[in-house]
Amino acid sequence: MQAIEALFPAHNYTLLAFIVLLPLLGAAVNGIFGKRLGKEAVSLLALSVMGIAFALAVVTFLALGHAQEGDEAARFFWKGWEWFSLTRSDGSTTVLNVGFSVDALNGTMALVVTGVGFLIHLYSVSYMAEDPGFHRFLTYLNLFIFSMLVLILGDSLPVLFVGWEGVGLCSYLLIGFWFEDDKNAAAGKKAFVTNRIGDFGLLVAMGLLLYYTGGLDWSTIDNNARSLLTPVQVWPLGTHVPAASLLPQSAEAWLNAPRYVSAATLVGLALFLGCAGKSAQLPLYVWLPDAMAGPTPVSALIHAATMVTAGVYLLCRLSFVMVLSPAAMATVAVTGALTAMFAASIAFAQQDIKKVLAYSTVSQLGYMFLGVGVGAFTAGFFHVITHAFFKACMFLGAGSVIHAMHARIHDTDASQDMRNMGGLRKYLPITFWTFTAAWAAIVGLPFTSGFFSKDEILLRAYTSYVKTPMATLTDGGGGSMQSFVWPTWLGTALYAIGLLTALMTAFYMTRLYIGTFFGEFKGWKIVKNWKEPEHAHGHDDHGHGHHHDPSVALEGPTPHESPWQMWVPLAVLGFLAAFAGFLNAAPLHIMPFERWLEPVFEKASQSVQLIEEAEHFEFPFLGLAFLSFAGGSGAAYFIYVMQKGKPAQSFAEAMPGLHALVVDKWRIDELYEEYVIGAVDSLAEFFAWADKWIVDFLLARVTAFLVSTTGTALRFAQTGRVQTYAAVMVLGLGAVGWFFVTPRAEASVDANDDSGVYSLTAAEGLGYSYRWDLNNDGKWDGDKGDFGDKTQQSLNLAVKENRTVRLEVKNAFGRTALRSFNFERPAPDRSGFTSQADGSAAPVRRVGDVRVIPTPQEKK
Amino acid sequence: MNTLGYFVEQYVMLAAALFTLGCIGFLVRRNVLVQLMSIELMLNAVNLMLVAFNRQHMADLNGQVFAFFIIAVAAAEVAVGLAIVLAFYRLKSSVQSDEADQLRH
Repeated sequence: MQAIEALFPAHNYTLLAFIVLLPLLGAAVNGIFGKRLGKEAVSLLALSVMGIAFALAVVTFLALGHAQEGDEAARFFWKGWEWFSLTRSDGSTTVLNVGFSVDALNGTMALVVTGVGFLIHLYSVSYMAEDPGFHRFLTYLNLFIFSMLVLILGDSLPVLFVGWEGVGLCSYLLIGFWFEDDKNAAAGKKAFVTNRIGDFGLLVAMGLLLYYTGGLDWSTIDNNARSLLTPVQVWPLGTHVPAASLLPQSAEAWLNAPRYVSAATLVGLALFLGCAGKSAQLPLYVWLPDAMAGPTPVSALIHAATMVTAGVYLLCRLSFVMVLSPAAMATVAVTGALTAMFAASIAFAQQDIKKVLAYSTVSQLGYMFLGVGVGAFTAGFFHVITHAFFKACMFLGAGSVIHAMHARIHDTDASQDMRNMGGLRKYLPITFWTFTAAWAAIVGLPFTSGFFSKDEILLRAYTSYVKTPMATLTDGGGGSMQSFVWPTWLGTALYAIGLLTALMTAFYMTRLYIGTFFGEFKGWKIVKNWKEPEHAHGHDDHGHGHHHDPSVALEGPTPHESPWQMWVPLAVLGFLAAFAGFLNAAPLHIMPFERWLEPVFEKASQSVQLIEEAEHFEFPFLGLAFLSFAGGSGAAYFIYVMQKGKPAQSFAEAMPGLHALVVDKWRIDELYEEYVIGAVDSLAEFFAWADKWIVDFLLARVTAFLVSTTGTALRFAQTGRVQTYAAVMVLGLGAVGWFFVTPRAEASVDANDDSGVYSLTAAEGLGYSYRWDLNNDGKWDGDKGDFGDKTQQSLNLAVKENRTVRLEVKNAFGRTALRSFNFERPAPDRSGFTSQADGSAAPVRRVGDVRVIPTPQEKK
Repeated sequence: MNTLGYFVEQYVMLAAALFTLGCIGFLVRRNVLVQLMSIELMLNAVNLMLVAFNRQHMADLNGQVFAFFIIAVAAAEVAVGLAIVLAFYRLKSSVQSDEADQLRH
């Protein structure tokens, strides 16, 4: 440990660069040479970079543990290099570095990303072995891990944003991995576009943070976080609401009254929009279920364990900003709770094993946001970790099941349909037992990881709230804001929704578990020593286009357990799913995880308070949580095992409308299609029209027609005879000569109506001389009225006096030109806006205007 | 100012007359050789102007140097021009400039 500390001091911890760059190396080599290297070399490289990165993450984690003594947060930096610098409007400069840092929070996250990532890489090597895009797949996976590490280890928001976009890109590439199928490509596009909406929020948050705190790296934001309490006027936009004066007096006053919120609330809401996009919260969750179009290891790695938790990570990272705004925190908590329940309700009626898991992921992410939103950052983040274990285990288990189903059913949808499964307990024992561990964790069987993490969130949802910040700064305009105070009923409501969701989770997960592993196998008739009649079977879940026809009874081989590369990750993750809860078992007072993260959340936790006698609720709530687990799973057992699913059928028959609505996922996709996408489409149609008729027709075709017509006309002048051209040149020469021998009398006027001084400056020319008649007596000024070289003249006028000034110019050839200027000084007008009270005069604002009326040019 | 016994106005008038003669010759004659000679006449009119005006400003000799440049360029121009006339004659068996109208639209 001392050797590590000597080699990598805390302020220059270059090991971080190795952790981040190793997966990039794997991606680069596999991406460029993958086809030539062969499958063994590709998998060896991909696995070894992941393995080394995981080992280095463990070393970093241990070194952090060694450095973190007492309450002081340890943080290791690797400064990297200067990226760019921004000069702000006040002249100060903000330098942005491509820098990385690691502390307890992202050290833990890095451990999960590299660890679970390694297991899923191992799994993929076997799962994707038959796929022609094998090296492409591992390249994308390595690139994803690189982006994810940039995201979590970045020391500033812009670096995080690079990773944020990188994981979005990899997610897009991997969802559409089998892009030959339009459905998969569309799912990838949907994920990417939906995420862009969230990214917009994150960009806005970055801009606001840069403006108010003067920096974008964590420590600068932390140090200047108090300045985020500045009130910001958000209404009305501009000085007043347009057309509000048409309304009655009181309504107008109400509309025009300035409204303020603190900058922290704006930042918090913008950040949350970004996080809601990446972490699939209402209303941007729609991409995640569709993302299951990607290969199953991708669903496990990206869309369950790591990328989708990036939003939770970001809120934890910026916890000290979030707690400054109770309103934003309440928004996070309420959205999280609603998402959890809403997604769970959809999961009730899905038949696709991966779709159920996807909606359960959305639901569990909702729990994490609920935890973070009430200020229980440790509890929320602990759920990230446990969820990574049990949900990755479930997805990989589902992959193992799909792999087994592919022995006979090659169609993607049919091989994932629970109605074709059942009874797989006998055939896939290892998958069954590991899935059991993960199932127990997610439904909240006591002493599993999910039990501890979920119940801590539920307890804190009821007991903790965010204090309203003390400082109420006022801005220069004297406006003050109404502070948001956490309502007392909110905790009860959040807890009720969370508990109900736990009940629903237990029900639909048990339904999935029973439907897959118990009862009779429904996929095909099992025949011993069965041989595939035509095709060699593929070990991928890629649709080959031949569909499973339910009317013909299929025959097929015994479903088989997956190879060791697939069940070893399952076993490890299953073990962690079952026992990782003891890292933070609050009811048993075993809480190393909480103590480990305490320094990170120390500042934020000062703003979070518990209600009185909070500790009294711990054990009653444990009882309620156990009841929700027992009730949900018991009901599912009763319906699907004891009654063989009859109550579910009769429910669907009794209320066909509601059932269809839930099967169709509450038709949210259709709603977006109609209103959001429809609106964008109408806009696009308008622009297409404008492009066709304004740009293409008016600008392009009409212009081209004019040019070609002119060309046709002018073509007659092109005789090809040199004399014609020479004659035109002579004419031009004559015109230029005429221009030079003609004098021009012009002058610029500088008028000052207030003082009455008007000055004239005559334009100069070759060999010009001037004479003036300022007093308008008909005689030229000066001795004998000769031409002189005086180009500037000025005159004083009394109010309302009218004067005509003449100027004559003579050039070198003796030719002259004459011009008159007419001046009138207006009466002074100091009223500005005239009163409209009598309704007679329209508001007239007079500006000093001198009327310069040039008389037609005279020549002598 | 007296220049070689004449006033500068007289040089200007002579140059203008030469230039006009060259100009008219170029415009009205169709024989390319005559047109080339007309161009020489115009160039020499300009040379005369440059030299005459330079006599008014003897401090620098830019005008006279410029006249030498024009003489040199005119010689080169005649060489190229006669070569073109020769090529044109081989093509059309004529030296009439109105027969060279192939570059029309």
